[in-house]
Amino acid sequence: MSDQATHIIPGQSVVSRLSGMATSGLTTAVVVAVLIFMPLLLGGSWTFTLGLCFANSIGVLAVSLLVRYGGEVSIGHTFFTALGAYSVGVLDTRYGISLWASVPLALLLGVVFGLLFAWPSRNLHGIYLAVTTLALALAVPEMINNFDVLTGGYEGLYVATPFIPGIEMGLQRYYVALFMLVIVCLAVARLRLSRQGMALLLAKAHPAAADAFGTRRVWARVSIMGISGGIGAICGATLAFSGSTVSPGGFTFWQAIFLLVGSVVSFYGLSLTRVLIGGAFVTLVPQLLSASGAWIPVLYGLALLGMILLGHYMPRIRKAMNRKAEAN
Amino acid sequence: MDQTTNALRGEGIALSFGGIKVLRGLDVEFRAGEITGLIGPNGAGKTSLFNCLTGAYLPQEGTISYAGDPLNGLPPAARANKGIVRSFQHVALCPDLTVRENVMMGIARNGSAGWLSAFLPLPGGTREREEMARSADEALADLGLPDVGDKLPGELPPGMQRLVEIARAVVGKPSVLMLDEPAAGLNNSETRDLTKVLRKLASTDLVMVVVEHDMDLVMSICDRIYVLNFGEFVAVGSPEEVRSNPDVVRIYLGSDDDE
Ligand SMILES: Nc1ncnc2c1ncn2[C@@H]1O[C@H](COP(=O)(O)OP(=O)(O)O)[C@@H](O)[C@H]1O
Ligand SMILES: [Mg+2]
Repeated sequence: MSDQATHIIPGQSVVSRLSGMATSGLTTAVVVAVLIFMPLLLGGSWTFTLGLCFANSIGVLAVSLLVRYGGEVSIGHTFFTALGAYSVGVLDTRYGISLWASVPLALLLGVVFGLLFAWPSRNLHGIYLAVTTLALALAVPEMINNFDVLTGGYEGLYVATPFIPGIEMGLQRYYVALFMLVIVCLAVARLRLSRQGMALLLAKAHPAAADAFGTRRVWARVSIMGISGGIGAICGATLAFSGSTVSPGGFTFWQAIFLLVGSVVSFYGLSLTRVLIGGAFVTLVPQLLSASGAWIPVLYGLALLGMILLGHYMPRIRKAMNRKAEAN
Repeated sequence: MDQTTNALRGEGIALSFGGIKVLRGLDVEFRAGEITGLIGPNGAGKTSLFNCLTGAYLPQEGTISYAGDPLNGLPPAARANKGIVRSFQHVALCPDLTVRENVMMGIARNGSAGWLSAFLPLPGGTREREEMARSADEALADLGLPDVGDKLPGELPPGMQRLVEIARAVVGKPSVLMLDEPAAGLNNSETRDLTKVLRKLASTDLVMVVVEHDMDLVMSICDRIYVLNFGEFVAVGSPEEVRSNPDVVRIYLGSDDDE
């Protein structure tokens, strides 16, 4: 009986370590519980900002997933976030259709365009693929402005239809984002255990071995791009709802870079706590620094460096502290 | 069924890389129910021949068939689906998967759980994973590794990693099993266990081919042995025939230093 149980949760610690869940399920549950009560403690503007953090965390997760499961780097994920955001924005403002329909549409578009991008670029790797994704990102603002009949062009769109009528909109913007983040993180944790997820990991580590056991490289590439694109679009959909406005300024090339930076500072983690760090970085650092004028880029760089050094040395510092604690 | 019906056959397999001839028109017949040895000095082309048979390399000339069905043009994944599997000379486990999960990859292609259960905890996907895990644990136990399923490959010594690699190849009950230096890095007792496992695996409808430098192992388990040197067979026959073949003796005495 007991060995039955180990099949279902095969070495939770190892698997959770590997799936990027540096923290246990318990820690995650505590973090989520605290976040559920946050709006009671915080003012409206902080609640709003935290909602954006959650939404951006989903985008960071999309980028990290591509790194972890595909071994590839994207600097063009605003293409997918824009797809999702405009799905929500257009359906809401033009047709009055709420998230019930626009989120599934966003997911569908994200996946489809992920696949459409993956097929022609299936044989590109590393820097070549990254540059190709960059082309996606650079095209986004232009495309938005060209389709201004639908997208509202430079002015953008204002998303005001409630998801659940009767509940105050500020709270909805917060809780919908939190809910989306939790759902996406759970789905990604599940992926790690699935035969598809395992096949992607093997294909990344040893393409020849994956091939020899029935996983084709092209399948792996196309699949991970579809998944990452879909999650990217969910990020955009959430950003549109929680941020209330959708405009080209949210999907610039710089925003794509920020998503990648968020992924790097969270060390490509896939757990809720890890991606929250990345999402907070993407959301907060530019805001905090916006008061500092010409020094913004320098301070941004310093903040980035600080985060990376901290992450790099943290395990060692923790080990040293543990050793000290044991010695005492 | 006749041994030769279910054989893996290659005729005139020639492979070259940029003008360098690696395989020079090889004819092979690896029969079901036999353990075939493939020996020869380093660089002889043993791994390359495996790669041609599994579809990883495309030989410039020659035909390959299994049980009469031509395999030329089939990609490696399709050959795997026909039950043609191999282990790798350089252990090719995924460091991000547990040992058990690595072995599960030997049968994951047979799974039917769709994309929905890849993201949602649907009962079908969970059940399938449990079944695969059970098969993987059985394969690991057969190879004398009952307790390492939850570890990462990197946490095991090299010898055990190689056994995990073999477990991944055998877990799917293959019809053709090609093992590339399965005993490399194993200590004496691990090699003895491996010998037992390979003997146990041999069955009337399994084609088993073993590339190995451990001559005691090869001579003791193989029914037929192919000796490869510079991309050509210098001898084919029973262990006794091969052992007494003067060319083989010369190659092996002469190649002592590069082993
Ligand atoms: N992908 C490749 N590209 C170029 N040369 C190769 C490749 N694979 C094998 N070779 C060459 O083919 C020859 C045979 O190698 P291999 O099949 O690995 O020999 P063995 O397994 O018998 O030691 C070697 O000279 C090796 O350099
Ligand atoms: Mg070799």
